[in-house]
Amino acid sequence: MACLHDHSCEEHDCSSDWSLYKHIDLSKVSALNEAVSGSVKSVFRAWEQRLNSSEGHLESNEGDPELIVFIPFTSDVKIKSISVVGGADGTSPAKMRAFINRDGIDFSDAQNMQPVQEWDLVENLQGVLEYQTRYSRFQSVGNITLHFPENFGGETCQIHYIGLKGEATQLKRDVVATIVYEVMPNPSDHKTRAETGGGLSQVE
Amino acid sequence: MVLEATIICIDNSEWMRNGDYSPNRFQAQTDTVNLICGAKTQLNPENTVGVLTMAGKGVRVLVTPTSDLGKILACMHGLEIGSEMNLAAGIQVAQLALKHRQNKKQQQRIIVFAGGPVKYDKKMLEMIGRKLKKNSIALDVVNFGEEDEGKAEKLEALVAAVNNNDSSHVVHVPPGPSALSDVLISSPIFTGDGEGGSSFAAAAAGGVSGFEFGVDPNLDPELALALRVSMEEERARQEAAAEEAAKQESGEHSASQDATISENVNTGTTEPENKSKDQMDDENAFLQQALAMSMGDSSSAVATRDTEMSEATTDDHDLQLGENLCWLAKFHFLTCVLFSFVFSLSLLTIRSDVVHYPLCLYLCSILLMLLVIFLQYCCFP
Repeated sequence: MACLHDHSCEEHDCSSDWSLYKHIDLSKVSALNEAVSGSVKSVFRAWEQRLNSSEGHLESNEGDPELIVFIPFTSDVKIKSISVVGGADGTSPAKMRAFINRDGIDFSDAQNMQPVQEWDLVENLQGVLEYQTRYSRFQSVGNITLHFPENFGGETCQIHYIGLKGEATQLKRDVVATIVYEVMPNPSDHKTRAETGGGLSQVE
Repeated sequence: MVLEATIICIDNSEWMRNGDYSPNRFQAQTDTVNLICGAKTQLNPENTVGVLTMAGKGVRVLVTPTSDLGKILACMHGLEIGSEMNLAAGIQVAQLALKHRQNKKQQQRIIVFAGGPVKYDKKMLEMIGRKLKKNSIALDVVNFGEEDEGKAEKLEALVAAVNNNDSSHVVHVPPGPSALSDVLISSPIFTGDGEGGSSFAAAAAGGVSGFEFGVDPNLDPELALALRVSMEEERARQEAAAEEAAKQESGEHSASQDATISENVNTGTTEPENKSKDQMDDENAFLQQALAMSMGDSSSAVATRDTEMSEATTDDHDLQLGENLCWLAKFHFLTCVLFSFVFSLSLLTIRSDVVHYPLCLYLCSILLMLLVIFLQYCCFP
């Protein structure tokens, strides 16, 4: 479902709604079938910058318009809607499929698995279209994988901007990430209060 | 320090029996695989390596990606050589094995040893290459063994299709005197993408060629110095030993002379034996004297006799001490026993009802033996 943005943005600040890009863990964003490795990071920007793709855009390999974009978040988020700005001349993606909280999806997985939600996209060069999600299914999203299987007939698939609208909770989905591994125990790391304080403790 | 999961595709086709790489193609391949596994795990302890065979009964995964070097080395034993290699199927199975790796954060890499001929055409290989690129899998190909028409071209095309940002390489190794692993150590397959692997490559290369004593003076100057000093000391010691050996050769002439002298001594010892027999006869005569004389006198006579015998033996002692002593011991034991017998007999004749015969015999023999030994030590200090 697409919604048209039919008010001017001076009255209320749209950009605050589209601020989920701040909660994206950019270092861990990855894409499959991208022509330039690492270019996927450039598509996450502020709402005002959505048409400004001077830093580069995401393009698929020549002759193969499929793309997979993996977006992890720093904390669990709730996603209300997604906006995608494609390229000109039929290089915009035509379909989008989303998978939630799945790691390491590649093309064969994406084609076989049932997505959480699927959309038919239209060419959205001005970035005024947004695609709403079934909010109940996007309640605690640790990472989202977007699969773009087709485009509008171009040689490649270009994406200039991906915007996410929603709320960020403070909950972290991370498994224990701050463990220090010890190969050999180091007693100095395990000082108890009795050792540092010394003396006898009395029970009264 | 790239975190990577690698699958190595081994070629165990019939073409691997050939001996143009030392010792044979298959063995050279195995050595290289071991080196690669070591290099990968050294780069990053969480790297994993897996192995599969492309020929034989069919494409078979020998060990799934693991960081345990022992498992990888063990699985390479007892591999059968046979049939021909199936490059496409091998790469596809490797892709599948990598897809199911345990740590999804690892980058994916396939290393292919292409020894036998490649039966697939260029288009098919390019398609496979593109599919690998799409799934961001890097591919390294080692082209060795058979030099088919177009094989090198096909493999180049394959790697060009996969190559993304210079992460995939193809290395052609012609047959020659140097081992397969040596050629590959300096290739980008070991050195990775320029970083990390170069330290392992330098260490391995240092061990193989170039540095003295196999230790890089840059990496470990103290060890290199210690090795050099000990080598020089060993050389000096060997020279000194050589000089001594030269001296000993001149000394061996005198040694041969000693041998002849000892032979003379051996002939000489027979004479004292004859002398001893004569002395036994003399002793019988002396026995009569002992019966006639008192106890103290007989012992002194024995002592004098012993000294005589010992004097006779001193001449021999200068030549062959060991033989004489052995002979002397026997002689002395006999004489002691004899004298004790005689002495006890004499006692019996004196007072037979008091003296207990065997005990007396035993005690007398001991006394006499001690006496004789004492005298002997006086003569031969």
